[in-house]
Amino acid sequence: MSTVEKKILNVKINGEETTVPEGTVVLEVCKQNNVEVSNLCYNRKLKPFAACRTCMVETVVDGKKELVYSCTHPVAEGMEIRTATEETDRYNKACLEMLLVEHPLDCPICDKSGVCPLQDNTDLLQLYDGRFETQRRNEPSIKTNPIIEFYLNRCIMCGLCVRACDEIQGAKALDFHKRGMSVGIGTANDEPLDCEFCGQCITVCPTGALMDMTSGARGLAAMFTETHSTCNFCSWGCTVKLETKKGEVIRIEADENYNVGINEGNLCAKGRFGHGIIHNEQRIENPLMNVGGDFQEVTWDEALNTIADRMQATVNRSGPDSLAAIGSEKLTNEENYLLQKLFRETLGSNQLNNLANIRAPYLNQFMLNCFDNGISSKPITQLQEADVVLVFNSDLPSEYPVGGNSVRFGTVFNNTDILIANPRRVVFDSEAKVDVRMTFKHGSDLAVASRLAKIMIDNGLIDASKAKSSIANFDELVQSLSSYTADNTEKLTGLPDDVLTRAAERFARDADRFVLVGNDILDTGQGEEILNALLNLCTLVNFGSTGSVSIYPPREHCNSQGVNDMGLEPEFLPGYQPSKGEKGRDFFENCKDGTTKFLYIAGEDPVGSFYRPQLVTEALRTVPFLIVTDVYMTETAKMADLILPSSTYAEKDGTYTNMSRHVQAVTSAILPQGTSKPDFDILIELAEALGKPFQKSTLPEIQQEIEEAAPVYKGTFPGKDSKQWVPPKSDKKPEFKINPASNDAEAAQESFPFTLQTNNHMFHIGSYSQHAKALVDIGPECIAEIHPEDAKGLGVASGDQVVIESSSSKVQVKIKTTRVTSQGMVYVPKNWPEVPVNNLRNGEEGLVQVKVSKSG
Amino acid sequence: METNTETTEEVEEIDLAPAEEIINQLPDNSRGHLIPTLDKVQGIYRYLPDPVMEMLMEFFNIARAEIYGVISFYPQLRITEPGKYIIKLCYGTACFVKGAPIINDKIHEKYHIKPGETDAEKLFTLQTASCLGNCGAAPMAIIGDDTHGTIDPEKTYDILSEYKKDDEETPVTEEVG
Repeated sequence: MSTVEKKILNVKINGEETTVPEGTVVLEVCKQNNVEVSNLCYNRKLKPFAACRTCMVETVVDGKKELVYSCTHPVAEGMEIRTATEETDRYNKACLEMLLVEHPLDCPICDKSGVCPLQDNTDLLQLYDGRFETQRRNEPSIKTNPIIEFYLNRCIMCGLCVRACDEIQGAKALDFHKRGMSVGIGTANDEPLDCEFCGQCITVCPTGALMDMTSGARGLAAMFTETHSTCNFCSWGCTVKLETKKGEVIRIEADENYNVGINEGNLCAKGRFGHGIIHNEQRIENPLMNVGGDFQEVTWDEALNTIADRMQATVNRSGPDSLAAIGSEKLTNEENYLLQKLFRETLGSNQLNNLANIRAPYLNQFMLNCFDNGISSKPITQLQEADVVLVFNSDLPSEYPVGGNSVRFGTVFNNTDILIANPRRVVFDSEAKVDVRMTFKHGSDLAVASRLAKIMIDNGLIDASKAKSSIANFDELVQSLSSYTADNTEKLTGLPDDVLTRAAERFARDADRFVLVGNDILDTGQGEEILNALLNLCTLVNFGSTGSVSIYPPREHCNSQGVNDMGLEPEFLPGYQPSKGEKGRDFFENCKDGTTKFLYIAGEDPVGSFYRPQLVTEALRTVPFLIVTDVYMTETAKMADLILPSSTYAEKDGTYTNMSRHVQAVTSAILPQGTSKPDFDILIELAEALGKPFQKSTLPEIQQEIEEAAPVYKGTFPGKDSKQWVPPKSDKKPEFKINPASNDAEAAQESFPFTLQTNNHMFHIGSYSQHAKALVDIGPECIAEIHPEDAKGLGVASGDQVVIESSSSKVQVKIKTTRVTSQGMVYVPKNWPEVPVNNLRNGEEGLVQVKVSKSG
Repeated sequence: METNTETTEEVEEIDLAPAEEIINQLPDNSRGHLIPTLDKVQGIYRYLPDPVMEMLMEFFNIARAEIYGVISFYPQLRITEPGKYIIKLCYGTACFVKGAPIINDKIHEKYHIKPGETDAEKLFTLQTASCLGNCGAAPMAIIGDDTHGTIDPEKTYDILSEYKKDDEETPVTEEVG
C-alpha cells in the first residue's frame, strides 16, 4: 500500500451497492463486481485511452443522468451506474458494427479464436447481423523479425499494443502511423521490429493482429490446454501459462486475470519465448556412463545401482563427509529438500552447498540481518504501489524485466519516485516525475550507499534521536561513516553531492520504500560491505522515519532463494536452523585436495557459470566419482562419471521460491520427455536403491515434511496462490553492521585500463536459454559495449571484433559503442559459451581490470 | 534498442549545423514544438534527414516510432529528398475535367513518376492537389515557385523543359499546411 490514502466512495451498480477507492474508473468497478460491460481497448495496467467507444454506460449523480465511456470516467460519491441499457447498447453496438466491417472473420486460423474479446463482445451485444457491407483489407502479414508477426488486417486500432510497449515496457517500439483510413500500427518506417521482445503486445492484443511466431500451432488457442506454472529463468518468479496441444508445449502466454501470480500478466522475452528448451533434440536422452572417456548409454536401474553402490562404498571407506552435493538454483524446493535429506539423513554428510552460497555466503546472513532489524519486506506484489524504489546496481530491464514493469506501473498510477544507482547509464524509461540517476564510478557502490546514510543523518532527514534510542550502536555507525564527506565521496564516485542529497531526501521521507539490489554487487569484491551499507540505510529509515522499507537479497535464478531455504548449505538446515554438522572448508578446494571423494551435482553447471572456472575444472577432475543430473550436456556434465537426464520445469511438479520469498507452484504440463525423470523421482529412486527408501515419497507428503522442518513455509503450499513466507518476529536487538575502514577502489593499472562489467543479458540467463531457438534468434551473439570516446581512442567502431584481455585470460567478442556504458568500462554479457567471460575473472574478487584491442 | 545505439555510419554527409541552430533556439523540449521544428528542418533540408531526426529524438526525448508516427501523419512531411522542383498538379474538379489526368499521364510517360514519386535525376517530384483555388485557370499546376495556368496538356513537355537540373534558381521551400 502506498502511504497516500485514497478516499472510499459508495456507488451502486445496477442497483447493487458497493464501495471503491477514489479515482477508480467506472469500467474497473464493473469488472471487479463481475458486471460485464462491452469494451475492447481497456486494460487496468494502462492509462485510460477510450479508442474503441464500445464501453458506454449510464451514470446518475445527484439525479443528473449522463452517458459516459466507462473506461475513462472516474466514479463519484453516490454514483448510480447502469449498464446495458437500451440506449447504451445502441451506441456500443453501432461502434462495434463498424469495427466488424473491416475485420476478417478468419477465426479458425486466428490465435485468439475462442479467447477473443472481439468475439466475446460481439456475442455480449448480440450483434449477429451487421447492417453494413463488409469491406475486408487484404494486406500481407509482416514477418520482418524472428518472433512477432503483424497481421494488421485483424487490427482494430485499439492502441493496446502501442500503449503496453510505451507504458509497461518503456520501449516505445510501436506507434500509430499514417492517418484516416490508412492508419496502422507499426514500427518507424516499417523497419524490422528491434525491441526488448517482451511480447506484452501479443498478450494485450484483443484480436490476433499480433502473433507469436514461436508458437507450435496456429489458431484456436481456446483448444489448447492451459497449465499455470512458474517461470524457470530469473528469480522474479513470474506465473506463466504453458499452453499444450497433443502433449506438447505449444507456446507460453501470460495470464492477466486478477490475483494470478505476482507478475500481473507481464512476461519477458525469456519467460515467454524460451519454451524451446522443452522439446529439444539436444536434450540428454538416456543415462550415460563414462567408460574410459566415452559416454555409453545405460539403463536407469544400472545407473542408480552404480550410484548407490558407490555412495555406500565411499561412506564405508572415507566417512560420510567425503560425500558432497551441490543443490540447484533451478530445482524445485521439494527436490532440493530431498537432496539434503538424502545427504544429511541417509548418508550423514553435511557437505551440501549451492553455487550462490559458495561464492557469497553473506547473502543469507544479510537476509537474516534484515529480519533481525525488523525489515521483513513486503510481498513484491506491492512494489507497484511503492512511493519510492531504489534500484541499486541492477540493470532492471535485463536482470528483472518484469520488476521493471511493476515499477513503471507505479510511476504511472502511484507517483513512484525512482532512484537508480548504477555504474552504467542503464536505460529505464518511465513516467516518473522524480527520477534520480546516480551513475557512479565503477566499483564505488559502497561509497554511494554509505554517503546516502550519512546525508540522512547529517541533514536531519531522519529522526536521529529515535534511531539512536532504538539501536545501540548508532554512534558507531556515525563514526564509521565519518570519512564519507561530500568531497571524499565525490572523489570516489564521481557523483556531485546534490544528486545524492536529492536521492537521500526522497528515500528518507514518509514513504513505502522498496530496494532492489542487483547481482552485480557480487562482482565488486565488496558484496558483503555493500549489503551491510544498504542494511544500515534501510535500518535508519525503518527506525528514524515513517512508512515502510522492503529490501531483498540479490538472487539470480528461479529458485536461488528456495535452495537456501531448503538448507543446501553447510551452515543451515532447512528454514535457516543452525546446522551442527561439519562445516568444511571451501567447497571446491575440498574437492581439489581430495577430501571429497564423491560429488553429486544436481542441475548446475559450475564449469560454465561459476566465477572460478579454473578451480572448478581442477576440482571436478580430482573428484573420484562425479554425478551430474541435467537436461543438457553442459561442460560440467562432460566431466561426469555418470550423467542422469533430468526433466525441465514443464515436466515436473513442486514449488520455486522467488527472490522476494513467494512460494509458487511449478506444475507439469506434459509428461517427462524421453526417458528423463524429474530430480524428485531420481532422488526417491536413489534412496530406494540405497536400501533406505524415504518413508514419504509423494509431493504433498514431502511438502508437509518441509513445513515441519522449516516452519516459515507453513501454509505456503501447494503454492497456487503465490504466498510469501514471513519470518517469525525476531527477538534479537536491531543493530547496524559496521563496515571496517574501507580500502577504496584501486586505481586502474596502466596496462589494463578498463574495468569489466558482466551480467545476464536481457535475452539469456543460465545454461539453458542458449538452447531456445527463439532466444538465439533475437540474441544470436555476444556483443560487448564500450563508450564511444573510448572506442575512438582504441580505433574501434561498432561491429568490430575486439580482444578483451585480463591478467589471466582473453576473449574475442564483437563490440558496440554506446553511451550507456561509462568511460573506462567495458561491458560483456556473460551468457554465450563462445565468449567465456568468467575466464577473465578466474577467481579474482573485486573489479577485473582488462585491456581492449582491435582483433586481427 | 534503437535509440541507445550510436549511429556510427551516416549514409551521406549532411551538414547538421543548421539543425543544431534550430534546436538551440527552442525555448524548451515540450512536445508542442515538435511539428514547427519538423517544418523548419524541412525548410532547410527540403526533407527530414534521418541524422537530424536522431537529434530531435534525443532533444524531445521521444522514440523513433513516435517521431516517424508524427511524420507519417502529415503527407507534407517527407523523409526522402524530393526532386529539385515539386510539381503540384491540381486535381480539383475543374482541372480534372480540363485535362489534369492527361498532364499526369504525360509526365508519367516521360519521367516515369506517379504522384508522390521523384524521377531518377531528382529533377521533379510529382504531387497532386485537391484544389489549388484557381479554377478559372484550369488546368493548373505549381512547379517550384511558379504558377502555370490554363495549361494546354499537349504542351506539358514545353513547360517542363524550361526547368533544368543546373538552373541557378534557389531551391523550393514550402510550409506545412
